[in-house]
Amino acid sequence: MTALTRAVRSELLKFFTTRLWWGLAIGVFASAAVFALLFGILYTSQSFLEQSGGGPFGGQVVADDVQIANTVYTAGLGVGYLLMLVIGVIQIGAEYRHRTVTSTFLTQPHRPRVMLGKVLALVLIAAAYGALSLVGSVLVGSVTLRARGAEAFPSAEVVRTLALSLLVLGLWALIGLGAGILIRNQVAALLITVGVAWIVEPLAGLAISAWDFGQHHIAPYLPSAATQAVLNGAQASADDVRLSWWGGAIALAAWAAAFALAGTVRVVRQDIS
Amino acid sequence: MPSAGVSVEFSGLTKRFGSLTAVDDLTFTVEPGRVTGFLGPNGAGKTTTMRMLLGLVRPTAGTATIDGRAYAELDDPLAVVGAALEATDVHPGRTGRDHLRTIAAAAGIPDARVDELLELTGIPAFARKRAGGYSTGMKQRLALAQSLLGDPRLLVLDEPANGLDPEGIRWLRGFLRHLSHDQGKTVLVSSHLLQEVEQTVDDVVIIANGTLVRQGPMAELGGEPGAVVRTSDPAALARALGEALGEVASEPQDDGSLLVHSTDLKAIGDAALAAGLPVWELRRREADLEALFFELTEGRNRNLGEAV
Repeated sequence: MTALTRAVRSELLKFFTTRLWWGLAIGVFASAAVFALLFGILYTSQSFLEQSGGGPFGGQVVADDVQIANTVYTAGLGVGYLLMLVIGVIQIGAEYRHRTVTSTFLTQPHRPRVMLGKVLALVLIAAAYGALSLVGSVLVGSVTLRARGAEAFPSAEVVRTLALSLLVLGLWALIGLGAGILIRNQVAALLITVGVAWIVEPLAGLAISAWDFGQHHIAPYLPSAATQAVLNGAQASADDVRLSWWGGAIALAAWAAAFALAGTVRVVRQDIS
Repeated sequence: MPSAGVSVEFSGLTKRFGSLTAVDDLTFTVEPGRVTGFLGPNGAGKTTTMRMLLGLVRPTAGTATIDGRAYAELDDPLAVVGAALEATDVHPGRTGRDHLRTIAAAAGIPDARVDELLELTGIPAFARKRAGGYSTGMKQRLALAQSLLGDPRLLVLDEPANGLDPEGIRWLRGFLRHLSHDQGKTVLVSSHLLQEVEQTVDDVVIIANGTLVRQGPMAELGGEPGAVVRTSDPAALARALGEALGEVASEPQDDGSLLVHSTDLKAIGDAALAAGLPVWELRRREADLEALFFELTEGRNRNLGEAV
């Protein structure tokens, strides 16, 4: 076994030997199923789609069949990617908090390799949780859509969205990993990352959108906005500027790479005491 | 020997944190087949020195090498160095055994070796419970098991006796001597208490405020052992001893006793009898290491009182 394979195995063991993983597994599955049901009902209701000002931010909701299916199947991902962010923070934050990072670096003094091991392990963990999330959302969502007379699988594009949702989860975990290093206190790291991703960033996106240049050249590239582009769900309003799915994927990957790299650089230079 | 020891060399090792010099130009060598005590008061820089040896803290200047190589250059570090450091812990939600498994996995060591060491350190049952409830002694044993995972040639233990019960300390003492004397491994043990390691170590390295104050074999630390004898006329006994034992120096002490630079109690007693002097007390005098240790490090502890 190569040193990298061993590093990945060790990271997976770290994740699956505390109770966190099954608590989060229940959360991921349940949120996927519940949101698929709610959105399945909401987006197939005529009054919701036609109602002027029905979108969360005042504009009219714009959605075709594909976007409706995408929205329903990825409804739980709003919670899912926050949970992956949490997992990413904890994968390194717990090592600082419980002072196991010493043992980790004694065992593998090559720190960039340890970090790469964490990155690969998080991608695998995200894929597993993503699959779990999709099982929940597609089971409940497709039944709901059919029951409401909508098409469950209007196009192959839906499958693309489902596959991409796994990628989205992995990238958010990497953002968490980087943030968990840059903010050394785990509790602070969790509060700040979730707060920023969930509240600050969407609000900042809105504020920036008031400015024309910002609306077209900054807001769409923010992580949450890029995530929406990748998943290609229903749009909150018609003048919502959104990247193409692949543009969103690249933007989100760039965020993930920037955080993971900044974290790695920091870790390599850090005194562990 | 399959895993005989390595020699460890510290050369001009220095670490500054801002304006504080935690470790100041430290140079010494640790030899294989012996237990070396690394001593100094709390805050003397022991832990920082050990962490620099292990590649966890980057030295400001100087080097610390293991058979000539830095820790980060070792191909299979756990097979060369086993470390149990302070400020190292176990995730409270993970069992001790699983903690060792995560390390074993990263080092390519089979789980069977984990169980073997849990048996050896006497915690196989406890190690299957979550670490949140472990006592300090339990954690020390787990840390020792961890340090031995790769059957290392060098053991670096930071305050390993902290939190161990007397039976545990006794066991640890025997175990460290076995590893060094019988297996030829190198053992470096830090402590802030000299008496804690007095009976375990062969060599001592004493630091205070990050600088080396004394280094050498334990036996030579306190100078030559001697004998204390108390009699009615110390001057007469001193003369008698000089005649009977040849050139044996003796010094009268403040309390009226006589300090003899010999440990031959029988010869001293015979000389007193021959001179017709009563012997009120006759005992071997061991070096007062604790006093010496205090003297060496006294007034140098930067954590006490005003900085100079």
